[in-house]
Amino acid sequence: MKRLLVCLLICLGVLTPRARATEPDQLFESLRRKILAVTDYTAQVKIKINVTYMRIPPMAGTLYFKAPDKMRLERRGGLSILPRRNVHLTLNNLVPTGNVTVIDAGTEMKNGRNLRIIKVIPEDDKSEIILAKIWVDEAHMLAMHLETTTRNEGTVNMEMEYGKYVNYSLPDKVTIIMDIKDFKLPKGVALDYNESTDPKPEKEIKNKKGTVQISYLSYEINKGLSDAVFNEE
Amino acid sequence: MIQLLRIELFKIFKRPRTYISFGIVTAITSIIQLAMLSDGKSFLAFGLQGIVDQFDIRGNIMNGYLVAFIILQSLLIHIPLLVALVAGDSFAGEANAGTLRLILTKPVTRPQLVIVKFISSFIYTVLLIVWLAIVALFLSLLLFGPGDMINLKSDAFVLLLRDDIMWRYAAAFAFSTLAMTTIASLSIFLSVFADNSIGPIISTMGIVVVLTILSNLQLPFFNLIKPYLFTTHMIGWKGFFDDPLPYKAIGRSSVVLGAYTLFFLTATIIYFNKKDIKS
Repeated sequence: MKRLLVCLLICLGVLTPRARATEPDQLFESLRRKILAVTDYTAQVKIKINVTYMRIPPMAGTLYFKAPDKMRLERRGGLSILPRRNVHLTLNNLVPTGNVTVIDAGTEMKNGRNLRIIKVIPEDDKSEIILAKIWVDEAHMLAMHLETTTRNEGTVNMEMEYGKYVNYSLPDKVTIIMDIKDFKLPKGVALDYNESTDPKPEKEIKNKKGTVQISYLSYEINKGLSDAVFNEE
Repeated sequence: MIQLLRIELFKIFKRPRTYISFGIVTAITSIIQLAMLSDGKSFLAFGLQGIVDQFDIRGNIMNGYLVAFIILQSLLIHIPLLVALVAGDSFAGEANAGTLRLILTKPVTRPQLVIVKFISSFIYTVLLIVWLAIVALFLSLLLFGPGDMINLKSDAFVLLLRDDIMWRYAAAFAFSTLAMTTIASLSIFLSVFADNSIGPIISTMGIVVVLTILSNLQLPFFNLIKPYLFTTHMIGWKGFFDDPLPYKAIGRSSVVLGAYTLFFLTATIIYFNKKDIKS
């Protein structure tokens, strides 16, 4: 009986490390390495802004990114409209750098995938990011959802869908969920035509969230973008 | 009838005051264009302040399309005055000069004369709007270049893509012509009551100013009468710069303006038919 118990304990001891999921800090490190491997890209994009007071048709253009924090949308003579802190549109800037503390926050089923949740707290007190909560697809080492609380810009929520560029951890589609402030102009200034006298539905008034959806149609990755690309008036 | 129309057009375009209107349109648009060239950014900053806090807008915002829109909005009161300058003079000017009786001694019926004066005022209105399109839109495009256009409403931010704007301007100018034709018919109507053209011109302006104020007052009582005032519908051209296009509202405005024009024209014919012309 004693021999049997000893054998069982030995077997368990040998097997447990293999069966146990990756440690959260290892998982985060692997994820960060993969994301930060992309130092620049040029992407053909289609942007759809869905904010209650904004009526903007889908905008096609070229999005340039260069690590760590350069981003520019070019629309061939047209206007470019991006959320104010547009560097947050890319994963690279929402994943904390430097020494961090990673906490396992369990798992969650999302769109038929079992995702591991980790919370990342930067050790640097001056870091812009206070906390990042990342939903990770361990099998493909991809961040599927990101909730980053920043020091000055509030919380940024980001959902990713991957396709052709999965190996670079670059999404085909990103949905950014943001808090929206009210927009009002004095009626005497705007001189509206066909203004509605009916009060707005309560749901519309309460809904202060907006989304920015970016569909990446194609990428050119790590081609060494010049800084001059980002210089504009 | 055609001969009579030619004579009426000759009379309109022979008068120097006719060209004052074209000069005024040119002067106002040039002043606004110069102001936008020198300080357009601060003007825009005021309108966009609630949006630039959250969104980063880059590119040629102050482009020709936006400047033309600002000009048209600024000329809301001025263009009716310029139309009234000519239309208000149509009968009253003749009465003042003592030529009305002379015309009516010719083989022309009174309704024919009213219709010819209405058509000649309409042609003048069309030419004024075409001139406005040239100096406000095409000159602005030349000075500021084309681009996507921003339209700021009191509770909305509308962006129109540059390829989707020119037809909107064509429709807006056509609608403005309809609105100004209503003003012309009102002026002609007032003109048959007077023997001096200043009266109908000032009366037209008075009516337009008072009704425009009522149309823009945000009081529940005025909300009841607003849909029946033609001044409420005169800004229907702005509907073409909305997205989605308010077809129903634009259609309703066109019908109201058309009905007012018809009413003023019919009333003019009825009154002028019975009028005892002494000069």
